[in-house]
Amino acid sequence: MRKTPGIAAVLLAFCAWSVPAQQKKESKPMPPPAYTPPPKGAQPAVDTPAQTAAIEQMLMKARAHTEAERKAFNATVAPAYDYPFGPKNPFTPGNIQVEGQGFLQPGAFPTAEYCGVCHQEAYHQWRQALHSNAFRAPFYRTSVNLLIHDKTRGIAYARHCDSCHNPIAVVSGALTKDSKVDRARFDSDGLTCMTCHSVVSLDSTNGNASVKMGVPAVMVDEKGNRIPGMVSFADILRHPERHSAAVMHDFLHKPEFCAACHKANLPATLNDYKFIRAFTAYDEWQQSKFSQRNPLTFYTADFTTCQDCHMKRSAITLPEYGAKNGMFASHRWLAGNTAVPFYYGYDEQLKKTIEFLRSGNYLNVDIFALHKQGEDRLIAPLGRATYSLAPKDVIEAYVVIQNKNIGHSLIPEVRDLYEAWVEFTVKDASGKEIYHSGYLQPNGRLDPRAHSFTNRPVDSEGEFVDNHKVWTIHSVAYDNTVQAGRSALVRYQFRLPAHVAGPVSVTAKVNYRHFRQSYLDNVFGKGDHPDYPVVELASCTRTLKIGENTPEPPDPQDNPDWMRWNNLGIALLDQFQYAEAVAAFTEVIKLRYNYVDAYTNVGLTEIVWEKYDSARTAIHRALALDPNNARALYYDGLLQRRSGDTKQEIEDFRRVVALYPESRDARRELGIAYYQENDEHQALEQFEALQRIDPDDLSAHYNLSILYRRMGMTDKAAEQQAMFIDKKVDPGAPTYSLNYLRDHPEIANESIPWHMHSDLLSEQGGANHGK
Amino acid sequence: MASRAARSRLVLCLALLLSTLMPASVHAENACPWLNDATASGLLGGTAVGVYTSAAQGQPAVCVFMQQTVAGARMLRLTVETVVEPHMQLMKAARVCGTHAVPLPAIGNEAVVCTEWSGKKGNGEIALGRVRDQLFRIALTSSLRRDSELSGKNLRMHLSSAAEQVAGNLF
Repeated sequence: MRKTPGIAAVLLAFCAWSVPAQQKKESKPMPPPAYTPPPKGAQPAVDTPAQTAAIEQMLMKARAHTEAERKAFNATVAPAYDYPFGPKNPFTPGNIQVEGQGFLQPGAFPTAEYCGVCHQEAYHQWRQALHSNAFRAPFYRTSVNLLIHDKTRGIAYARHCDSCHNPIAVVSGALTKDSKVDRARFDSDGLTCMTCHSVVSLDSTNGNASVKMGVPAVMVDEKGNRIPGMVSFADILRHPERHSAAVMHDFLHKPEFCAACHKANLPATLNDYKFIRAFTAYDEWQQSKFSQRNPLTFYTADFTTCQDCHMKRSAITLPEYGAKNGMFASHRWLAGNTAVPFYYGYDEQLKKTIEFLRSGNYLNVDIFALHKQGEDRLIAPLGRATYSLAPKDVIEAYVVIQNKNIGHSLIPEVRDLYEAWVEFTVKDASGKEIYHSGYLQPNGRLDPRAHSFTNRPVDSEGEFVDNHKVWTIHSVAYDNTVQAGRSALVRYQFRLPAHVAGPVSVTAKVNYRHFRQSYLDNVFGKGDHPDYPVVELASCTRTLKIGENTPEPPDPQDNPDWMRWNNLGIALLDQFQYAEAVAAFTEVIKLRYNYVDAYTNVGLTEIVWEKYDSARTAIHRALALDPNNARALYYDGLLQRRSGDTKQEIEDFRRVVALYPESRDARRELGIAYYQENDEHQALEQFEALQRIDPDDLSAHYNLSILYRRMGMTDKAAEQQAMFIDKKVDPGAPTYSLNYLRDHPEIANESIPWHMHSDLLSEQGGANHGK
Repeated sequence: MASRAARSRLVLCLALLLSTLMPASVHAENACPWLNDATASGLLGGTAVGVYTSAAQGQPAVCVFMQQTVAGARMLRLTVETVVEPHMQLMKAARVCGTHAVPLPAIGNEAVVCTEWSGKKGNGEIALGRVRDQLFRIALTSSLRRDSELSGKNLRMHLSSAAEQVAGNLF
């Protein structure tokens, strides 16, 4: 039996769509066609009957052509396609959907080069950006190849990852064992222009590419019908408004669009275990001050979207017909990825990425206080307090790191691969090191005892999932971050040398590296790659004199004193040091007696500390200053519940919901309050609203399952119950974490919220650890 | 130069002959792990037929894709092997390019490309690279006269694309 005729027939059929592979490096674009933008407020061009007829003819022809191609393409691809989750779920474990029947042929997507003729600035930026390299970069390929070669899964399961990293591969049915699709046509373009600009609807904020991909069209007719495929530049330039109608949906400007991929979970269909949250930059943003949807943030800010930070408008340098007044929204999506531009030699993108990371006052590092061993006094805030130091003193330094202006956590995504950490050094006057934490070892790996903003996912054996085999993750042994608007307290202990005389300089830096060295070793081989860039995000240096230290003028980067105390209080609260947190917030009150949030901060700390009487006093003071303060009202609602005044509790939460309709916390608590009052319909309304805000909220799943059942809606009840069971953390998962922590004392120490970094722990009398 | 071109044409002819005559049991289904038939067809500019021979007895794994037309044939030949001292081995392999090796940036750990033969009776270019300790060699050749698809910039572009596909799958 010969194979050739069969393969030849298949290939012959397929060659109808085969065109030469596109150039993978940035190509020099052809000059854009002549175009003069219409004056502001000008009416769209009016077509003659002949022009209208020509466009309608073009529409019919384009539709017929695309549909015929699609049908023929499906006839080739579908029979060999692997459907592990049934024909109705061709893209599972990804959430992506397509318009119409069957797979979408790669040729239906106009190329980036086509778009780049009129959008040269966008094309130039995109080619260097992470989106265009989302699939081909070796850092991604190494990981997804492990899934493809996994014995029990295989390439069909890569649809989970590629729905965001290479959507054309997914929707064209390329991800199957016996693929009939020419990968060279799109692999190198990852998220090309016409993937984002072909999305026709957002199905939810569930992430994992929860969008519907339309049949790509760059123009609509006068009735709004989408004309599939490429059209002539002349047609577009005659009707730029119809081009916009096809490719510029309003949701492209909204955070919910970014949520489609910047929110991810590991579903049971992938891991054969259960739902595990991977990351959710979108929810972090929604809970941050920048969304103005959450009344419980510690600070406030102007409404700022993902696009406002990551797609800032800037002056164009290349012809760009999408520009307005010479300004264009960045298609670089500057963020934290330095590795991809470093690997590809995109120096411009790398430079701008580093500038971005260092801009925006995103982080504040504050060497806030000292504590001398044997003394009760906390010397704080540094720079304001008077104190003295002597040789041999054992000093504890309090470093407060504030996530000041990031709209999400530090680090928001893939915390197992990206690395941010604190480097803390103490040097004498000659520059000699007295203490150093957070250094890079000769093999490029980070000091294992460094304070890092990373995590340690583990598998069912308690082993670290070192190479991003996310489908094996069963638990997270350690997960350290600083959420948006919050602060972390990092403590370091060191001893001043016996013969130290001159001043001692203390420096704390937050460094960032993309990627962790051990992952780079996995990708390229140990010692077989250059050093990847380490970027200093923020730092603080203070000089400590031996002898008397007196107050000094603040540095321009320093927060005001009340904020410094406030940030300490926030950090202590997150480390369960409630008494100390209340003391810190009380210092804020001393400095700003009319600052409502200071009282609320005392109150909320005392609520979690279960000191309800004093919490009431603080919250009442806050409400006396501002009776409509949603944050204080929320905590008052909790206190009213505690005292049994349900009517007032409901009133408080209703007021918060009226002010912040998208507050998930207020919706949840109001739902619970109604539920306890047996007002099932009102409770249902709140939990349904909560689920629209956060489709993964466990309390919504739990309560809706009960409420639906009581109301006779058994199918919906069963659905909610199933989701609750799937999303609830496995009670057995901590065992896997403990197995890991038992073998890794350095991380076990880091996993304790209140811990100290010290080289003195082994010295007799040196540690005083944990006090 | 002439002898290299002649050698390449001979290899091409032999490969074509083998593909036609070899029984299906030897290379029943193309299972090339690094390039599918459709992708190879796109790179060769027409329907290609692939043959895969897995690595055995110290010999590298080989994928050969051919596109036969009346005027001649185009071929993509890929070999992959695991080696010790991969950088040294790559440098050794790249000697075939003489002084004409051009670095192919951002392909695998490292890669180079060069012209194997070029003339009236066709063109051929090779890419040599590695991903960690896996060495690959891709030869993209055409015996067609004045082959606009596989000559000059197009040929180099298709070869780079093939190298990126292969390297990506080797990571």
